[in-house]
Amino acid sequence: MTATPDSASSGTNPRKLMGLRRLAGPALIIAIAAPLVSGALLLVYAALLARTLGLSIEDGAPLSAVLPLIGIMVLIALIRALLGIVGEHAGAVGAERIKENLRNRLFGHLLAQRHPLGLKPASGAIGAALMEQVDGLENFFARYIPAMVAAAILPVAFAVALFPVDWIVALLFLITAPLIPLFMALAGWGAQAATDRQATALSRLSAYFADRLRGLLTLKLFGRADDATRDVYAASEDLRRRTQSVLRLAFLSSAVLEFFAALGIAGVALYVGLTYLGFLGINPGLTLASGMFALIMAPEVYAPLRQLAAHYHDRAAARSALAEIDAIVADIDHVSVPDRSEPAYGTLRAMPVHVQGLTVSTIDETRILDQLDLTIAAGESVAIMGPSGSGKSTLVRAIARLLPYEGTIDLDGKPLPDWDEAHLRGAVAFIAQKPRIFVGTIADNIALANPTAPPEAIRLAAEEAGVADFVNALPEGLQTIVGEGGYGLSGGQAQRIGLARLYLTDPALIILDEPTAQLDPATEDQALDALFRFGEGRTMIVVTHSATVARRAGTVLRMAGGRLLPTPHRAPAQPGKKEHRA
Amino acid sequence: MKALLFFAPLFKPHALRLILALVLSLITLAAGTALLGVSGWFLTATALTAAGLSFNLFAPSSAVRGFSFIRILSRYFEKLVGHDATLKLLSDLRRWLFSALFPRLPLTDRSLRHGDLVSRLTADIDTLDTAFLLAVGPLAAALVLGIAVSTGLFLVLPAAAWIYLATIGTAVILIPLLLARVTNRIGGQCVEASADLRAQVLDSVAGHEDIVVFGQAGFITRRFEAATATLARLRRRQDLATSVAAAVVQALTAIALLFIVVTGLDALGRGSIDGPILAAIVFAALGSFEATAVIVRSIGNLGTALASAERLRQIATAPITVRDPARPEPFPSDGTIVFEDVSFAYPSGAPVLSGLNLTIEPGEHIAISGASGVGKSSLLHLLLRLDDPQAGAIRIGGKDIRDLAQAELHAHIALLSQQSPVFLDTIRNNLLIAAPDASDGELFAALGHARLEASVRGLPLGLDTVVGETGATLSVGQVRRLCLARTLLSPAPVVLLDEPTSGLDRETELAFLIDIPKVLAGRTVILATHAQLPEDTPLRRMALRGGVLIEDRS
Repeated sequence: MTATPDSASSGTNPRKLMGLRRLAGPALIIAIAAPLVSGALLLVYAALLARTLGLSIEDGAPLSAVLPLIGIMVLIALIRALLGIVGEHAGAVGAERIKENLRNRLFGHLLAQRHPLGLKPASGAIGAALMEQVDGLENFFARYIPAMVAAAILPVAFAVALFPVDWIVALLFLITAPLIPLFMALAGWGAQAATDRQATALSRLSAYFADRLRGLLTLKLFGRADDATRDVYAASEDLRRRTQSVLRLAFLSSAVLEFFAALGIAGVALYVGLTYLGFLGINPGLTLASGMFALIMAPEVYAPLRQLAAHYHDRAAARSALAEIDAIVADIDHVSVPDRSEPAYGTLRAMPVHVQGLTVSTIDETRILDQLDLTIAAGESVAIMGPSGSGKSTLVRAIARLLPYEGTIDLDGKPLPDWDEAHLRGAVAFIAQKPRIFVGTIADNIALANPTAPPEAIRLAAEEAGVADFVNALPEGLQTIVGEGGYGLSGGQAQRIGLARLYLTDPALIILDEPTAQLDPATEDQALDALFRFGEGRTMIVVTHSATVARRAGTVLRMAGGRLLPTPHRAPAQPGKKEHRA
Repeated sequence: MKALLFFAPLFKPHALRLILALVLSLITLAAGTALLGVSGWFLTATALTAAGLSFNLFAPSSAVRGFSFIRILSRYFEKLVGHDATLKLLSDLRRWLFSALFPRLPLTDRSLRHGDLVSRLTADIDTLDTAFLLAVGPLAAALVLGIAVSTGLFLVLPAAAWIYLATIGTAVILIPLLLARVTNRIGGQCVEASADLRAQVLDSVAGHEDIVVFGQAGFITRRFEAATATLARLRRRQDLATSVAAAVVQALTAIALLFIVVTGLDALGRGSIDGPILAAIVFAALGSFEATAVIVRSIGNLGTALASAERLRQIATAPITVRDPARPEPFPSDGTIVFEDVSFAYPSGAPVLSGLNLTIEPGEHIAISGASGVGKSSLLHLLLRLDDPQAGAIRIGGKDIRDLAQAELHAHIALLSQQSPVFLDTIRNNLLIAAPDASDGELFAALGHARLEASVRGLPLGLDTVVGETGATLSVGQVRRLCLARTLLSPAPVVLLDEPTSGLDRETELAFLIDIPKVLAGRTVILATHAQLPEDTPLRRMALRGGVLIEDRS
């Protein structure tokens, strides 16, 4: 779950990162080219400015003589500004394209994955991976790559352009400039390891927050508000210390750069000055304009390197972000793609279920189901009972193809792995023990089962499941917005919304996991009437603790020791009579 | 900006560090400006001088070296101090926000949903660092430097001073203001779009199976893709606004520099200044414009920061629905609980309780049954003051609970709610939340009462087993029992159990219900359940129907 420094600094990661460039299209090329063109124009601008100053100060030329030069400079300044917009925007477009594409792929992977039993990823950390960590890649593409290319080309090009003016200055630039990335790389090595640690700390902090926020009320009621606040502060301070150690190194590398840049500028100023004074006889014919040109270009030679240094941290951050994404979500080169086909409803009316030698283990290899056999005829209804934790939910989740398993499961005589997703999801309906309530309206939540369902169908489904009973009392009815995880709903209300989803499908096999556990007897009776009415003629598997539910089923099986045992069948329930649970 | 000012008190403890960072950044900028200015003057002076070898070389050359090193050192420490102060501030902000949240629980605003809250606490707080470190600091430094350079110019070249001042004013104040206006709006939309995206991710992780079994991966992915496209579009627009502003500043300063050159050359022609001074002015102006470049970039992010600040402010200023009395009464020693004509309705107006009366003697065990959604949970919540009734009163030992300190009330009453969570932590730490000083023996005893002892003893790591985010390494029934054990462990004399046996099979449920009188003997118990109660359990049975309680004799 956590990224080790190795995973980030290994060779595959930088390659993977660069591989993402392809997703950006031509935008990144424009982003790289624009600063180079702008650099060439800068050379012209500096030469003109130096010439203007030289002509007027040294040669006493009148203002009117240099005005045309100034006019050209204004034009160049405007073009360079425009190039700045083009380059930056192209970088932003490219980076956004990469991020969008990557987010979509990772999200698809989340949906395509089937988790083995006992593994459930922390949603807070995943949320952080798709949001913050993906954002962490942005500056690498939008800023670092163009800056890197500019830093590789421009200083050398500037130095070469200065050769005809003064070869000593040019040589000074040629020697000092390439040394800078070397020193920065030295400083950067340490920074990478520190950045990795910081990225891990950041994602832990996110997961920690998500978790504590979920239980905020519980913490408050147990009088733990102060402890929780203190813990949050401690976690945050831990992150600060890690960040600070990253920054100390990152700033050190930029200080190294500043040192060389300052050395270069000061060196040029002194060299040119001494030449004018006649101390140095290397280039006695140096004009004021040429000297000025060298001085104006001096900071510019180091500017691309400074730009690179400013974005140097972005590379380390991007690598760490990628390592975190890798550890928490997926290897970006090997993401699974979800099956996007719509469920194919109504292809079957009922189906037989045949399970043989079914074994399901948790990731730590505890066997939850061991060589289980089960046969259900088409159209039969079966209740599965048994103690909590005995593997009832595991069995039905395996039949619904939500878990990896060993053994055979045949639906309608066809092995489960041979079913295509569209037909399987159209033929099998599964209502989980705690149906997830999504952010949105109650109607949207019911329509999860079939987003194209007309409002009338949703209303009918709501009535069948008893959702209407409590929704009608709400001013906004089915359009009432409910929070994530069902915030604002009681357990029984959330369960009824989950049940309503069933009525928007047309399955041949209905699987219900504790469909009425959170309902009171009266509501339960109503819900069961509707469920069994809908299940008439379809195959039905109901996992339940409740004898009331079991009594309605054609067959009752008992789960014990990872096996299913038949139990004596009881008479069907008398409608209207209050049932006692056995 | 109002939202940012709201956080001003939090900046106070770090004021010294922030001012130090500001001073250091000013020194950095000034040294850079001086370095170029002196170099320009030095070059021109040496080129024009006839003094030759007698030219005083020492002062300018040591000034050039000195300014260089001052700049390097001050920049290094400026960054270090600035970031340290900002990160400390962020920790403070997190702590402050967390402590602001607790008294506001439960949040009544449903839009403050969980996924959104997480992003408020992490992302929103992080974006706030740009507010000072990247925007306010450079802005102030550029302004101070701009005024200093203008003052210098007024003394030697007044015509250029006006141009310079106008340029600095435009580049440092006017354009950032315009940009802030534009990005403020887009930034707010960006934050909203990000929060929406995150909520979709959290929903899809937690609701993974529901999406898969209904074959809706395609639908959910398409919805997510639409949301990422929206976010990307907003981000592109925000970036474009920043790029345009940066280009305008760049062009403006370049042209202003040329104007200064022109006025300088004019003055030179009239002989009012000499060549070296002109060169110094031009180069110093060139150097000082460096300060303007970073500002626009930071302002581009300011919009996001402001939107984040606004959202954080919303939480911190959310109404506290339940307040502590100014002077809480001492907690009564008599534990009799009385509901007196209590009426309660949801904010939507749907009535829940209407004139409910109930007296519970200390140590009494009472079971409340009733249809789902009829108000059993609300009744329990009112007793804990998670909400206050609109009419009537609830008294403990004759004292209205609104006159008692909430902390004492919560210590007096333990609740197992329907949504009780298991924390991403060890089983031990999950239990210790209820009783920090409990021994392992006590922990196992509580687990035993919740019928979970054998399962925990069977785990290789026992009490030190880490349970997942939503208790995923345990089954739903086991999670429920762990929460139950936690509640039982609490030393509170009153225990409220809201559907304690949901997710348990009938045998376990029965065994637990039969155990209650023994396990919780001497403590007051209110049990809200729709489970069939065993006939011979000594419980007082009530049914909640139509907003009132009636004795249940069935």
